Amino acid sequence: MAANFPNPSFPSASLISPKALMSIRNLELRARAVVEGFWSGLHRSPYHGFSVEFTEYRQYTPGDDPRHLDWRVFARSDRYFIKKFEDETNLRCHLLTDQSRSMAFGSVGHTKAEYASTLAATLAYFLHLQGDAVGLLTFDERIRDYLPARHRTSHLRQLMLALEKPAGGTATDLVAPLQRITELVRKRGLVTLISDFLAPLDRLESSLTNLAACRHEVVVFQVLDPAELGFAFEQAAVFRDAETGRTLYVDPAAARKSYVQKLEAHCTALRRICEKLGIGYHRLATDQPLELALFDFLQARMQRGKLVKPVTGQRGSISGTANT
Amino acid sequence: MSFLAPLFLLGGLAVALPVVFHLIRRTTREQTLFSSLMFLQPSPPRLTRKSRLEHLLLLLLRCLALALLAFGFARPFLKQTAANDHDAAAAKRIVVLLDSSASMRREGLWAAARQQAEAVLRRVTPADQVAVFTFDRQVTPLVNFDQWKAMPAGDRVGQALNRIGEASPGWSATLLGNALVRAAEELADDDTTKAGGPRQIVLISDIQEGSRLDQLQAYEWPKGIQVLVEPVKARAASNASVQLVTESADADRNADPVVRVRVSNAADAKREKFQVGWTRREAPGFVGAAVDVYVPPGQSRVVPVPVPTNAPGLNQIILRGDDEPFDNSVFVLPPEAAHINVLYLGAEAAEDTHQPLFFLRRALPETRRQAIQVMARPPAAALAASEAEAAALFVVTDALPDDRAALLREQMLAGKIVIFAPKSAASAPTLARLLGRESVAMEEAKPDKYAMLADIDFRHPLFAPFADPRFSDFTKIHFWKYRKVDAAGIPDGRVVAKFDSGAPALLDAPVGKGRLLVLTSGWQPEDSQLALSSKFVPLLYSLLELTGGLTTAPSQYLVGDSVALTGLSGNATTLRIPDGTTVPLAVGSTNFSQTLQPGIYTITSAPVPKQFAVNLDPAETRTMPLSVDELEHRGAPVTATVLVDTATDAKHQAILQSSEAESRQKLWRWLIAAALAVLLGESALAGWTARRSIALEGTPA
Repeated sequence: MAANFPNPSFPSASLISPKALMSIRNLELRARAVVEGFWSGLHRSPYHGFSVEFTEYRQYTPGDDPRHLDWRVFARSDRYFIKKFEDETNLRCHLLTDQSRSMAFGSVGHTKAEYASTLAATLAYFLHLQGDAVGLLTFDERIRDYLPARHRTSHLRQLMLALEKPAGGTATDLVAPLQRITELVRKRGLVTLISDFLAPLDRLESSLTNLAACRHEVVVFQVLDPAELGFAFEQAAVFRDAETGRTLYVDPAAARKSYVQKLEAHCTALRRICEKLGIGYHRLATDQPLELALFDFLQARMQRGKLVKPVTGQRGSISGTANT
Repeated sequence: MSFLAPLFLLGGLAVALPVVFHLIRRTTREQTLFSSLMFLQPSPPRLTRKSRLEHLLLLLLRCLALALLAFGFARPFLKQTAANDHDAAAAKRIVVLLDSSASMRREGLWAAARQQAEAVLRRVTPADQVAVFTFDRQVTPLVNFDQWKAMPAGDRVGQALNRIGEASPGWSATLLGNALVRAAEELADDDTTKAGGPRQIVLISDIQEGSRLDQLQAYEWPKGIQVLVEPVKARAASNASVQLVTESADADRNADPVVRVRVSNAADAKREKFQVGWTRREAPGFVGAAVDVYVPPGQSRVVPVPVPTNAPGLNQIILRGDDEPFDNSVFVLPPEAAHINVLYLGAEAAEDTHQPLFFLRRALPETRRQAIQVMARPPAAALAASEAEAAALFVVTDALPDDRAALLREQMLAGKIVIFAPKSAASAPTLARLLGRESVAMEEAKPDKYAMLADIDFRHPLFAPFADPRFSDFTKIHFWKYRKVDAAGIPDGRVVAKFDSGAPALLDAPVGKGRLLVLTSGWQPEDSQLALSSKFVPLLYSLLELTGGLTTAPSQYLVGDSVALTGLSGNATTLRIPDGTTVPLAVGSTNFSQTLQPGIYTITSAPVPKQFAVNLDPAETRTMPLSVDELEHRGAPVTATVLVDTATDAKHQAILQSSEAESRQKLWRWLIAAALAVLLGESALAGWTARRSIALEGTPA
């Protein structure tokens, strides 16, 4: 996938390294740094004007907010028209962020949870700048925080605060938040699921299917630490599970091969599910610059925007286009 | 090289352990946090390859320490030297100590002891040197080393056995300590001529509880002398005994005569009921009524046995109901009172309660042991020479006529003692006569309040019993008046006690063989409180002992004791010993030490036949076996308790020789020391390695 290695089309020199980024303590500043760097890195945003386009006039009906009346049209035609324009969002994005304890693992100076939070904050900030409404749902083995999608600066603050909470919980339940968001969000929108997906996948497919069936656009970010990807340990040691506390004596030299195989199988299974449901799947290592993630995300979105077809089996050819 | 405990060599297999431990890579105890273990499988502890054995030197040291320990525990010894030992064993020097005390008279013991002695002698090689001693109170050499050497080599054992066959157990107590010391000394002396070679004492004894080991305590046991104990065991375990209980000296003379005996029963005895009564040697059976005694095992009872009034001449009490007869009789003679005559020369009436005579009579009562007769004579009355001869002590309190004084002086010159306690200074001429001088200055002295005895010479026999600080306080005795005697006027006199004024209170002046004691104050209440004090009677008895009339003869003699023969004329003396034979005594001998058997000994040649009873030592009747450890505690190194078993004798001897060789070489000590040294080195090396690896980890790559 595109997220696994630096995108050659992207000017890598202008990227901020995650290590440097994570040294900024404020999450909002971090998000802003990524987004602004991203803006300056791009000559032209492919999404510019995407959400500020004038859509339509609609006749005023009692109950509408009189603030939205187009007084110029009224002056000309003496009729009340409501103009749907800038401040009316056209996208509801829900960020589903995993805050289970397995996300608290990190071998590159920051944890997966910090990376995931920064990613979520970046997306939120970016969408906020575009005028989209952003909601948040954090979860571990249960749902922890839920903020409905809104577009307000104060809402963004709350969102950042919720993201800054430390990772906790003893397990990762991917099904409950998906079901919950399916229940809560009636209008179709964008659902972004950020997790390490280090949990059984057996019931994940049905939940994702439900979500996709509600015509939501779903994007999945799988955040993994480089140490998890390659099991880069040298010494034999007793390993403790961050979530369950289970301990196991493991000699990395002996176990690495089988581990990598199993992890790859797991990731492949996850990708298969996503492909099957037309869901964008991005795997991110925590030492990768966040701009790449953002770029991948936007690129996939653009592809998606061009795509007329909803969930179909022809997704494979489109993802192939996206990869080019 | 051979091993005493070869099974311990299996411990050497433990060498495999460090090898395995070195092959196992050390696992860290630290835990590494990981996000999820869902893709991980537990790894088995990994063995490094053989070529990757870590810390080879450490491994070698650990293996070496274990191997040395196993080797040490196997108790190795050098066969080569063991063979030499065998040659050396041929040149062993052995003292065979054969117990011949009274307890060996028990059934079967002496035969068993002789058998064991024979077994020991049969084991002896021609090169060995052997001495055979029997012991009880004394150590009697049957064969000493010189005699052994002098015998023809092939006949030594036979001759020694003959001599053992001639010996028999006596009646004496067991002085085991003494015998062991004597044997050790014999071996130690012998060692001056011959260097090296093992030296052994083979002790053949019943090692009874009553054996005396005191002498071992003060003896520093010579190095290299071993004691091999060959115990003999009595067939009948139970044994009861009877012993005479010493009569107190002041027992009531008029009470019904009884003799008190103690009946003791051994702890492992099976019998509890006994009978005690008088008997005659010639006719077995009780004379008069026997006393039934119930003594539980391990206890003793004191039983009064009434003396039958109608059967004179009884002197033996026996115990019935016991298996072992050797300690079942005790010989008793009625105590003989000592007769002492005290001649009192004073003017007062005997009934006058304020005068010295009254107190003197009261202080010397007649008891069973002593009959002291105080004969009072007025100074002026005639005194027969025989009367003076019969008196042991003269007490003079008044001035005497010259001829009386001269008579007393003669008696003193012959060795008698006169105590002169003048009632007044007017007796000064009498004192001068007694001393054989022209005159002695004497004047009456009357202190303001009272005088006390201040300076007493407690080394003098009169005051010696008071030398203990508990009894030496004489300040409670007040003297109201005294006669001041000029001590300088009696040049050879010794002032034994002084008053606080410095005037002599008691003067001891030797006169010829006898002595004159001058007490410058009387004991009567008019002069002092002396007669009323607790010191008066002991002082008088000291005085009587000084005369030699009051002897503290023991109430009974034990077998082997030396008996002082007093009151014998200078003629040839004969003595009848209990078995009826008559023993002549050398002229002028004052002691008889051949009391070899219990019974009544009679001096037949004396004008009045004198008798004394000799009994078995009470310690000898304690026949319970003594723990061999007791010998060890007293310093004698007991190497083995040997029980003769001819079938396993050769094998046993081989084992014995091996253990001897091993205990002499003591190679295991060096091996353990080497193991400790290796372990120390290992610790140092391991510490150094650990520090170095930490230092290496600490340095940045």
